[in-house]
Amino acid sequence: MSRSHSWMTPLASSRRGPFCRILLAALPLMVVIGFSPTARAEEAPAFTDSLFQAPEPLKSVDSVLAVKVGDPMPDFDLPTIDGGRVRLSDFVGKKKLVLSFVPAAWTPVCSGQWPGYNIARELFAAENAELVGISVDNVPSLHAWVTQMGGLWFPVASDFWPHGGLTGKLGILRPEGVAERALFIVDEKGIIRYIDVHDINSRPDLGVLLTALRGIKD
Amino acid sequence: MKRTMWAFVLAVMVLWPGLARAGGASEAAGSEALPVGATFPDVSLGSDLPDAHRSYLGIAQKDGPVRLADVTAPVVILEIFSMYCPHCQREAPVLNDLYALLERGGHADTVKMLGIGAGNSAMEVDIYRNKFQTPYPLVADQKFEVHDACGKVGTPYFYVLAKKPGETAYTVVLSRLGRMDSPESFAADVLAAAP
Repeated sequence: MSRSHSWMTPLASSRRGPFCRILLAALPLMVVIGFSPTARAEEAPAFTDSLFQAPEPLKSVDSVLAVKVGDPMPDFDLPTIDGGRVRLSDFVGKKKLVLSFVPAAWTPVCSGQWPGYNIARELFAAENAELVGISVDNVPSLHAWVTQMGGLWFPVASDFWPHGGLTGKLGILRPEGVAERALFIVDEKGIIRYIDVHDINSRPDLGVLLTALRGIKD
Repeated sequence: MKRTMWAFVLAVMVLWPGLARAGGASEAAGSEALPVGATFPDVSLGSDLPDAHRSYLGIAQKDGPVRLADVTAPVVILEIFSMYCPHCQREAPVLNDLYALLERGGHADTVKMLGIGAGNSAMEVDIYRNKFQTPYPLVADQKFEVHDACGKVGTPYFYVLAKKPGETAYTVVLSRLGRMDSPESFAADVLAAAP
């Protein structure tokens, strides 16, 4: 009896505090959940579950291109999620530039597109090309989203303010204020050489993009 | 006793994120995985398997299109993956270790590995294969036909399939979403589940 009393008293004492009591009370549940196969398989879906799912497919393309292949790329100077900036002038005369516009952070197709580019860094480098990801989300939102995805090797820029400044110049700003899912390749002279304004509901084939990139010669 | 209790609490708190991460996966909406005991559909493996992979699967003599039923191995570890899935990317080296482990353990002739790239084009599968130097066959499933046939599962998803001599269709003997704890434990589970 006395042993039981001495066991219970410290747990109930103010020295342990309510947090400790709650923690100890929750411990069995944490252990059960932590070791259950279901929980183990569904850890990552915490990210998946946080994504916004449109109630129905969107109109595949809902804007009118304002540029065409052969046009000069409009100038831009955008903030990036690492606190820097990305400018057209960073690349002209030096490297090809691949711009990947996605409609919105925290959405399923976009979240399943850029992680694939994460294993293709060498393939872009082999073509003397740099990749830049762009959306019209603001920097903090993009930062949180990319961090949650596990990070990306390429710069991610925000075309948030003036809202859709670059996106609008290119003619890929949709009426609801988001970018199309679009890919542009700009050559070393600053000329647009490839445009794919893709169905917003589906992910473009990275193989098609790389084939196009490899096909661009001076 | 109190010290033991608190040590346990701290151990759980420290290990908790690692324990959870071990099962990383990308969920798929509306997935209905095939359960253990189900007959696995005779899915197409396409026409593009190179000779080395046809030989690995025991169908070196077969030209043209290949179906799963053509494979003669008694056990197949079939992974549904996507080159876009970060969990699958992280799992790739582990699967290479599993492949090597099966070889070292003398199971290379009886337990085969096969990957299905859900929604991936042939070129996207090549990017994944080249990046991770995957030694076993990977098949592109750009139109999600195989993925649909086997339950629209999240990735990575592992089906362990088995069939007895004379049988054509494979039966699911293990069905599991998410990254494995280790190649050793997964290999043990495979060998325990396969008849």
